[in-house]
Amino acid sequence: MTATANSKEMKSPLARLLRGNRSRQGLWLVPMLIALALALVLAFRTDQFLTSENLFNLVAQAMPLVITAIGQMCVIVVGGLDLSVGSVISFTTAVLALGGPGYVLIPAVFALAALIGVTNGLAVTRLNVHPIIATLAMQYVVLGIARILRPVSGGTVPDIVIQSVGGSILGIPMPVFWGIAVILVAWKLIHGSRFGLHLFAIGGGIAAGTDDAARNFGVADKRNIVLAYVACSCFAALAGVFLAGRIVSGDPNVGLLFELDTIAAVAIGGTQLAGGIGSLHGTIIGALVLALLSNGMNLLNVSPFIQTAIKGSILLLVVGLQSRKKMGL
Amino acid sequence: MAAVLSTPIVQRITKVPPAYYVFAALLIVLSVAKPNMLNINVMGIFIRQVAPLGILVLGQLLVMRVRSIDLSAGGVILLINYFISSGLFPGVSLSFFIVLALVTGTLIGLFNGLMIGKRRVSAVITTLAVSIVLIGIVQYLSSGKPPGDVPSIFNDIYNTKLGPVPSPVIFWFALTLAMALFLSRTVFGRFVMSVGESAEAAHFSGVPVERTVILAHTMAGFIAGVAALVQTASIAVGSVRVGLDLPILAVAATILGGVVFGRGEGGVWGPFFGVLSFALLFVVMTTFGIGDPGKLIAQGLIILLAAVFYGLRTARPR
Repeated sequence: MTATANSKEMKSPLARLLRGNRSRQGLWLVPMLIALALALVLAFRTDQFLTSENLFNLVAQAMPLVITAIGQMCVIVVGGLDLSVGSVISFTTAVLALGGPGYVLIPAVFALAALIGVTNGLAVTRLNVHPIIATLAMQYVVLGIARILRPVSGGTVPDIVIQSVGGSILGIPMPVFWGIAVILVAWKLIHGSRFGLHLFAIGGGIAAGTDDAARNFGVADKRNIVLAYVACSCFAALAGVFLAGRIVSGDPNVGLLFELDTIAAVAIGGTQLAGGIGSLHGTIIGALVLALLSNGMNLLNVSPFIQTAIKGSILLLVVGLQSRKKMGL
Repeated sequence: MAAVLSTPIVQRITKVPPAYYVFAALLIVLSVAKPNMLNINVMGIFIRQVAPLGILVLGQLLVMRVRSIDLSAGGVILLINYFISSGLFPGVSLSFFIVLALVTGTLIGLFNGLMIGKRRVSAVITTLAVSIVLIGIVQYLSSGKPPGDVPSIFNDIYNTKLGPVPSPVIFWFALTLAMALFLSRTVFGRFVMSVGESAEAAHFSGVPVERTVILAHTMAGFIAGVAALVQTASIAVGSVRVGLDLPILAVAATILGGVVFGRGEGGVWGPFFGVLSFALLFVVMTTFGIGDPGKLIAQGLIILLAAVFYGLRTARPR
C-alpha cells in the first residue's frame, strides 16, 4: 500500500519538489524501534504485560491520545500548532453529559468542534494571529465554557456512547475496532487524498520560509489550513466521545494537558514541528511510545509523579535531536 | 475593512497598545460601579497580588521581542517554592535562598537559551518540556503533597509598606524601570530590537543573533527566579500548584501590552499596563460575582482580541 501510494505521488512535480533529499514521512523508523524495544523490555521484565487483558487495556488507554495526535499532526504539518485540543476534549465530554438523546448530542459535539476549528483556522489565516496565541486563547474560552456547563465531573452520557466504547464483539473489546476505523479514515485523509497532499505542500513551503510556495502551485492554502484546524478539533472531539464512554460522565478536567501529550507524540513520531514533514504511522507510533511508557511504568510500580518528569525529558530529547533552520517559536 | 484600517486616525489609534484602552475602560467601569474601591489601600492590595506576574512579564517581553517564548516559569516557580518551603536546607539564611533562587532560574534560562539558540529547537516545545520536567521532579520529591512552610521572614518583607504603597509593588515598578532603561540605553537593547525585526537582517548587519537569543532567555530565567521569590513570599506556604498559570498569563499580558513576537511597540510599559489591566479585570469580575470559568473566558477573549488587533494591522495586502 505504501509503495503504490508513493509511486503515485512521485509523479506529481509538487510532491517531487517537496521530497528533496529527505523523506517526507520523517524519521518514523527510530520511534518504531523505541516502541519495539520498550515492548520487549516490558515483556521480559513483567508477567502481566503480555496478558490479553493488559494489551486490550493498553489499546483503550492509548486510543484518546492516538486520535488527538492524528489531528494535531494535520495542524503541525501545515506549520501550525493547536493548544486547544485538551479543552475541546473536556468540552466534548461536558456536552455529552448534558443529558439528551445520542442522535442529537453526538452530531452536536462534532458541529461545535468544527466551529472551534473554523474559528482557530480563520484567526490564523485571515486575521494573521500566531497559531500559538489563537489556539491558546481558544483553550481558555472553551475550558471556561466547559466549566460553566459542568463545574465538576458528573452527569451521564448517552447509552450509545457507553456501549460503543465499553462493549465487545466476539470477545474483542470495542476500542480495538475504534483503532482500526480511526486509522483507516486517517490514512485516507492524510496519505490518500488530495487534501492530505496539499497539507504537506503548504507546510513544506512554510518550513522552507516561502509561505506562498504552495499557492503558486495552485493549492488553496488558506482554505486547507482552516480545514486542518477543523480536522484537528474534530479528532479531538472524537477522542472526547471515546473518553466520555470510558468514564461514563462529563469531566471538565479530563483533557487537561492533553495538548502537551499530543505534541510530544507527534514530535516523537518524527513529524517536523516547522511543518511539511510527517506521517500518520509515525504519529501513531509516537502515541504508542508514550502509552507504552506509562503502561510499563505502572506495571513496574514507578511513581506516577516521576513519570511526568520522564515524559518531559523524552520530549526534550526527541525535539533536541531534530535540528532545524529557523530559530525561535 | 482594509480601507478603514489605512486611514491615518485609525493607524494612530492602533499604534497604542490595547492594554491602555483596556486599563482605561476597566477603570471607568470600576469608578462607576464601585467608586469606594478606588482608594490606594484597596488597590494596593490588588496590585500587590499581581507583582509576581508583573515581574515575570519583564522576562517574557524580552524573549518575545526576539521572537521566542518562555513557558518554563511555572516549573521554575514551583521548584524554587519547593526549595524554600521543604526544609531541604535547614537553618540557612535569607540571602542563601535568594542566591539559590537566582542561580536556579538563571541556569534553567541558560538551558532554554542554548536549546533554542544553539540547537534551534522550537521554543514552545523546549520551555514547555522543561516546565513539565521541573513540575514532575517537584511532585515526585514532595509525593504530590504540599511541602512545609516558608520561613516567616519572606512574608514579613512582603507585607512591608513604603508609605501607603506595598513594597512588592515598588519593587516591581523599580524592576520595570530598570528594564526599560536597560533596553533603551544599552547595545544589548538594540540587538534585541534588531533580532526581533528580522533575524536574518540582524545577522548580516553583524548582530550576534544566537548570543542575543541565549542571553535573552538567560535573563528571562533570572527574572523568573526573582518572580518565584516574590510569589513564594506572597503565599507564604509551600505548594505543588503555585504559579502554574503564571507563564500563560505573562504571555497574555505581554501581548496586551503591545509586544507580539518580534514587534515591540509597547516597549516595557505597555506590558506593565497589561498586567495592571489583568489586576483590574480580576477586581471587576470579582465585584460583579463572575466565577473562575467566566474569568477564563474573559482572559481568552482578551488575548484573542489583542492578537487580532495586531494581526489586522500586519494583514495589509502585500
